[in-house]
Amino acid sequence: MMKNKLNIVLWLMGLVLLALFPRLFGIYYTNIMVTLAIFSVFAVSVNMLLGYTGLLSFGHAMFFGFGGYGTALALAHIPGIGLLPAIGMGVLAAVLLALILSPLVVRVSGTAFAMLHLAFGQLMYVLALKLYTVTGGEDGIANFPVPGVFTESLKGSPEYFYYLAMVILGVSTWLMWFITKTPFGQIQVGIRDNAKRIDYLGYKVPQSKAVIYVLSALFAGVAGSVYGLFHNLVSVDGSLGIGMSFAPIISVMIGGVGSFFGPILGVVIFQLVDELILRYTESTELVMGVILIVVVMFMPKGFVGLFGLLRDKVRGGGIPKAEKEKAS
Amino acid sequence: MDPTVSMYVSQGIHGIAYGMILFLIASGLNIIFGMMGILNMAHTAFFMLAAYFCYAVVGLTGNFWLGLLLAPAFTAVLGVLMERLFLRRVAGHMSELILTMGISFVIVAAIKKIWGTESLPLQMPEILQGMVNILGVSYPVYRLFVIGLALVILVFMMLLLYRTRLGKIVRAAVSDRDMVNALGININLVFMFVFGVGTWMAGLGGVAIAPILTVFPGLADQVGMDAFIVVVTGGFGSLTGAFIVSIIFGLLSSYGVQFVSQFAPVLMVAFMALVLAFRPNGLFGVKE
Repeated sequence: MMKNKLNIVLWLMGLVLLALFPRLFGIYYTNIMVTLAIFSVFAVSVNMLLGYTGLLSFGHAMFFGFGGYGTALALAHIPGIGLLPAIGMGVLAAVLLALILSPLVVRVSGTAFAMLHLAFGQLMYVLALKLYTVTGGEDGIANFPVPGVFTESLKGSPEYFYYLAMVILGVSTWLMWFITKTPFGQIQVGIRDNAKRIDYLGYKVPQSKAVIYVLSALFAGVAGSVYGLFHNLVSVDGSLGIGMSFAPIISVMIGGVGSFFGPILGVVIFQLVDELILRYTESTELVMGVILIVVVMFMPKGFVGLFGLLRDKVRGGGIPKAEKEKAS
Repeated sequence: MDPTVSMYVSQGIHGIAYGMILFLIASGLNIIFGMMGILNMAHTAFFMLAAYFCYAVVGLTGNFWLGLLLAPAFTAVLGVLMERLFLRRVAGHMSELILTMGISFVIVAAIKKIWGTESLPLQMPEILQGMVNILGVSYPVYRLFVIGLALVILVFMMLLLYRTRLGKIVRAAVSDRDMVNALGININLVFMFVFGVGTWMAGLGGVAIAPILTVFPGLADQVGMDAFIVVVTGGFGSLTGAFIVSIIFGLLSSYGVQFVSQFAPVLMVAFMALVLAFRPNGLFGVKE
C-alpha cells in the first residue's frame, strides 16, 4: 500500500515536471525534450518487435518516413485539414504499408526478416528520391502549414507544440505499455521464446506476428508524423535513410532489449552521446559502430541489465540471478 | 551485325559481368552463412575495403596484378581476425547481426577518414584496356576478364568443396557441426578458414569492380545491397541459387538501366518480393 502511494506521488511529480518544463528550462531544452520523446516512441515501437516478439527489422525507418510523408502531403495538398486528421493520414499511410508487407514478412523470421526489411527500406528510400514530383526528391517537403488543434497555426509557438507533442507521444507510449501487458502481448513473448509451443497451444503465430507488426508500424508512424511537424520538414535522408533504421535499434540495445523502459533510457543516453560527440568529431558512424560493438560484446542486456545486476548485488548479497530463478 | 542487336548483346555482356561480381560477393556471404549461420553484415565493408587496398597498392607499385593478389588476402586476414576477436565471443543471431553491423560502420568511417569521400579512379592494366571484336560485336576486354575470373573462382570453389578432404569436412560441418566436432576435427579452425575464404571472395569482388565503378565510400551500399538481395532471393546457403540469381540480377540491372533507367533498382526488389511471396526461404533455400 505504501509503495503504491509512493508510486502515485512519483508519477504526479513527473507529470508536474513535464508540464512546467518549458517554463523551467527554456526553449532549447524544451526542443531537446520533444526530440527525445519522438525517438522514445520510435524506439519503443521497434522494441515491440525486437524485444517482445524477437523480430529484428533493419528497415523500420520506412514506417517512420511514411508517417512523416503522409502528414506532410496531407497538410500541403488538402486545404483546411486539421492537425489531428493530418497526423491520422500519416499514421494510416504507415499502417497501410505494414498491411501490404505483412503477408510476406510474417512467414519469415530471424535473419531473413531483417534482410527483407533492409531491402524494402532501401526500396522506399530510392522510390522517395526518384518520385520527386510527389515527394520533392532530395529537398523533401518543407514549409507546409502546421495548424493547431485550437489555433490557426503552431508555427512560432514551440511551447504549445511541446504540450501537443507530449500528449500525443505520452498517450502512444501508454498504449504500447498497455499492449505489452495484455494476454496478447504475453503471446508475443511466447512467440519469441518458443514459436512452436505457442502454435501447439492453439494460437495462430503468423497472425499474431502480423498484428504486432502493424501496431509497431502504427506507433513508428506516429513518431514520424510528429517528427515531420516538429521540423516542418520531411526529407529523404532525415526520415527514410538507413541511419534512421539503425538509431532506434542502437537505442534499444543500449537501454536493454525486452524491457519496456529500457529503450527510453537508451534514447536519452544515445542522444546525449551523439550531441556531445558531434561537438568534437563529424563522424557519427564511427561512434555508432563503436557503441554497437561495445554494447553487444560487454553488456548484452544494456544499461537496464547493468542496473539489474547492481540491484541484485546490493539486495541478494551476490547470489547470481540465474541461480535465484532456478530456486524459485 | 545490326547495330541495335549488337547493342543488346554488349548490354547483356555488361549485365553478366556485373552479375559475376555480385556472385563473387554473394557466394562469400553464402558460404559463411551456410556454414556458421552468421550473416556477416560487414561483408560489404570488406568488399569496399579491398577496392581501397587495391587502389593503395596500385598507387604504390603501379601494378594492378599485385593489387589483385594482395588486397583480397589482406581482407581475408581482417575477416579471420574479426571472427576470432569479436564474433566468437557473442551468442545469438541478433547479437551477431548487430555486432557485424557495428564493425561495418567502423570500417566505413575509417575509410572516409583515411581516403576521403571523393571517388578515386583506378587504372586497369594496359592489357585489359580497349575492346575486342568477336563475331562483329566489340566487347570491352576488362568485362570479359571479370567474367573469366569469376568462372575460374567458381570452378575452384566447386573443386575445393567437392573434391578435397577439406571440402568434405566443410560440407559435413554445414549439416551437423556438433557431430563433426565430436569426430575430433577442430571445428573452430575450420570456421576460421571458411570465414577467411568468404571475406577473400568479397575482396576479389571489390578489386574486380574497382576499375569499372571507381572507388568511393558509397560502393558498399550500392553494390553490397544488391549482393544481399541476391543471397536472400537465391536462398541462404545455396551456391547454385546465388549463381543463378546473380546472373538474373546482372541482366535485370543492365537492361533495366537501358529501358526504365530511373527505376532499375526497383526491378530487383520487385523480383525478390515475387520470389519470396511464393518461396519464403528463397529460390533454392531449404527450410531452417
